[in-house]
This record gives sequence, structure tokens and C-alpha cells, in this order.
Amino acid sequence: MKKDGKIWIDGINNPLNNESLSSKKLRSSIKGRSTISILPDVWVIKIGGQSIMDRGAEAVLPILDELVKAKNNGVHFILCCGGGTRARHVYSLGLDLDLPTGMLARLGASIPVQNARMLQLMLAKEGGIVAYPEEFEKLPFFLNSGCIPITSGMPPNEFWEKSSAHGNIPENRTDAGVFLLGEFLGAKGVLFIKDEDGMYTDDPKKNPDAEFIPETTAQDLLASKQDDLIVERVVLDYMTRSDNVKKIQIINGTVPGNITKAFNGENTGTVITA
Amino acid sequence: MAEKESQTDGRNHLKSGLMRESLVSSKLIQTTKNKTVRTMVPGLKMLAIGGQSIMDRGKEAIMPVVDAIVTARKDHKLIVGVGGGARARHTFSIGLDLGLPIGGLARIVGGVEENNRDILQFLLAPHGGITFVKDHLQDIQLFLNNGLIPICIGQPPYHFWEPPSQEDGGLPDNGPDVGLYLMAEVMGAETMILVKDVDGVFDQDPHKFEDAQMIKTTCAEDLLNGDCDDLPVERELLRSLSNARLLKSIQVVNGLQPDNIVKALNGEHVGTIIHSNKEDMA
Repeated sequence: MKKDGKIWIDGINNPLNNESLSSKKLRSSIKGRSTISILPDVWVIKIGGQSIMDRGAEAVLPILDELVKAKNNGVHFILCCGGGTRARHVYSLGLDLDLPTGMLARLGASIPVQNARMLQLMLAKEGGIVAYPEEFEKLPFFLNSGCIPITSGMPPNEFWEKSSAHGNIPENRTDAGVFLLGEFLGAKGVLFIKDEDGMYTDDPKKNPDAEFIPETTAQDLLASKQDDLIVERVVLDYMTRSDNVKKIQIINGTVPGNITKAFNGENTGTVITA
Repeated sequence: MAEKESQTDGRNHLKSGLMRESLVSSKLIQTTKNKTVRTMVPGLKMLAIGGQSIMDRGKEAIMPVVDAIVTARKDHKLIVGVGGGARARHTFSIGLDLGLPIGGLARIVGGVEENNRDILQFLLAPHGGITFVKDHLQDIQLFLNNGLIPICIGQPPYHFWEPPSQEDGGLPDNGPDVGLYLMAEVMGAETMILVKDVDGVFDQDPHKFEDAQMIKTTCAEDLLNGDCDDLPVERELLRSLSNARLLKSIQVVNGLQPDNIVKALNGEHVGTIIHSNKEDMA
């Protein structure tokens, strides 16, 4: 029963048995493996918090109409909500109180859930349901029954969110959660619906000289040292190592037709590739 | 930042808060870098019990560690965490063979840590051992103030959201060492002791190389940049430690000599101390 003083599992060719997972040699010996796709026909879509939800009915309703039409035409998607202004307020309060990053991530997690619940109420008659992370193993059931799963964009890190080398605001927020969900599912596409045509060289709301960037790469953006970006920096970092999601698209949802174009594979907005 | 503009209407308005700001701006993020952050649970100590190094050895190694915990808890506020060991490696082997994505591996591996947590809880139950799950993190003072010993799994709850790995091989970077460190860090624990089956960190695996040299004191950066092929701790633990705000050093000790656990909790240097960064080593 024991081998080298340890209770071990016999009879199975297990390359990791009795090995340290920190060994570089061991890790190198298993690299380059291929992985299966979990839900390859499903889009993962982020509804911006500050950019869409905080604008209220004027921005939200036309977007929901366009999404419902797409669903009725056979497009499968999961909606993930951003936080927006209330998340910024609670981060400000938490920073003022010198709370640690893990606590800020916990606080930030509550707001996108509110937004998800709002969208569920708006979409209930079209099949909108709130899907919590604990229920994600039921996603096939939700999707096959014609539902629109709606969830928070935040990853479930909360108290386990790491301190960053830079600021104290959690680095993994709703963009990161949406990207990682798409990466895990091997999704058909990851779409960020915002209120700008895409990414600019600076914040177009503050700098009128900011230039539009239709296409770029995660590497180039990380190297550019551009101060402001339209997605969280960790998303670009993850893209450089991802297995599945090699492209994300940021579109202006306040322009009717853009969502449909993106579903049809058109490069509206800004496309960032790995 | 975030000076209060006015509290005349009874609400907390925040001047130069984050309103209308992109939280992605590097300049803005730098303004949020506080030197210190507040401590949630003063006086807390985290004891991380190795899965492969202690639990897989059975009664012979586990019972003396249990006795050491019973002794130590009289003088220390402890959380006990545990890893998965051989069954975690078996889980990964099957998962790799099936082609599961990294988020799938991260989601399933915690199950075998729950075995080890439940075993330790059973053994410590006569002395107040209870299972401690993430949804009860904010109840921690209830447990500690009533003399209980909370016992939890290590794997952080990133689940399907486990990021693509920085290391080769597509295994999750974040394992039980990282999860327990982050829990200790967010609570502002005073110390974290990693209980393993080696005396500390060596320049090579001491179970495989007789001439391996022990490193008594080091820092996260030196270990990450050094040429040690193998380490008794996760590399991501070192990356997390290098950004520490509160818990700025950890100690790796040999739990096969259980006196080390009590000594290390009392502040003695019996294994390898790993500091957050070079400046803290002085």
C-alpha cells in the first residue's frame, strides 16, 4: 500500500505520480497538449456596466431587442454584466478605508449581479434566466431549452484576488471574467458591447484628438504603453497565452445593427487578436 | 485619493473618485497604490499542510502533525489548510488525458482536497476542528473566538476562470499554496507556515540528490529567477508573495519533525524563510 513512505495509486500510468508539480522539467514534459471545446457554438457577450447599463433604457432596450432577434434566429449566447458607476463608487470607498485588494474584489462582485438581475427581469418573457457560476454545469440545459443565461462578468476570485504590483484595484474584473469564461468554454466568440465604436489611442470622451484603432494585437497593445485601454490589461496578458480565444471584438452597441454584424462575422468596432 | 468633498447631506461623496474614469488607465491605477492596507483578523496564523508531503504518508506523518496543531492552538489563532497530494496528481493525469481545458482541471481538483480537509477535521474534532468553507470566510472570528480550529482546502475558487498558465504544461498555476497564501494575505495573517517533508528549500530536490544544499533565507524574486528546477512550493505562490501588502514572509518547515511546527509558530527560524522581496531580507 505504501511506496517511498506514501500511500499511492497503483496500476495506472500516471506521469504526475509522486512528482512535484513545481518542477520545470515535469511541466515541460507535458506541454503542447490539445484541449476539447466545452460549448463551441456559444458566444460570450459582455454588456458594459458604465457604458451601457448606466445609460438606462435608452441604451439597454435596443440592445436587448437586437439580442433577442439573434436568439430567435438560432444564435446561442451567454450575457455577462459589467459593474459600472456603482462599482467605481464602492472601490473609491474601499480605497479610502485602505481595504485590501481581495476585499475590493469581494465588494466589486455584488454590482454586476445587480445588473444581471435587472437584465433577467427585462428578458424573462424571452427566456432570460440568471445563471450563477455554481450552475454553469447546467448551461447546456439552459441553452437547449431556449433560455438566455445571464450572469455577472466578475470571475469568482473575490477574497482570493491577488494584490497587484501596481494599484490596489483588483486587476481581474468583468472583462477578465468574460474573457476567461469564453476561453474555458472554447466559445464561438467573445464580444464586448460598449458605447464607443471601439478602441482609440486615448479616451475619446476626454481627448478629441484620439484616433480610432480598428485592428490590433494584444502584444502590440501591451508593448505600446498606451495609458488607457478599452479592456482590462490582464485580458491582453491572458490572450498571449490562451488556447482557445485568439480574438476579441469591442463594438458600439448604441448603433443599431452592430451586434448582428458581429454575429455574422463582420469586423465592426475594434478587433484585438492574440 | 478619494478625499471627502462634502458630507453636508449625510452621504459619502468622494472627490476625485473613480466616477466616469476608465479603471484601465495606468496613471489612475498608480494613484490607488496604498502603501499599507488594513488588517482583517489581527494575530492570525496560517498552517498549510502538504498533501503529498504529509497526508499521503498516512498515520505515521499525520498524527504527530495533528498533535502539534493541538499543542499550538493553545497559544495561537490558527487556520489549517491542506492540499490534495497523490489524488490531485491522479485527477490532473486523467484530466490531461481527456483534454480538459485548464478551467476544467481547476474546477475538479478541489474535490480531493476536500477529502484531506475532512480527514483532518475528523482527527481534530475532539479539539474543536471544524470544516471552514469559503462562504463562511466572514464568520472566521466566530470560530476563532470560540476556540475552534477551522480547517479548509487550499485550491483558490477560480474554478472555470483559472487563467491560462504562465508555466508550461497547461496545469493551473494556482494551487493550494497560492489559495492559502491569498486567504492569509487578505485577512492580514501574521505568518504562514508551509508544512512539508523536506527541511526547507534546497537548490535541488533533496529526495533525489544527496548533495542538495539547503537555503535558509531567500526572497521570492531570487527563487523565481534562480535555476532551481524544482521547489517545494508553487511558483505562483512566489509571484503572489512578491506583491504582498501585509504577509511579507512565509516559512517552509519539515513536518516529519513536528516540533518544527510549534517552533515556527513561535517565531523560530527552523526551515526556509522566503521574503516578499530583497529589501525585506535585511
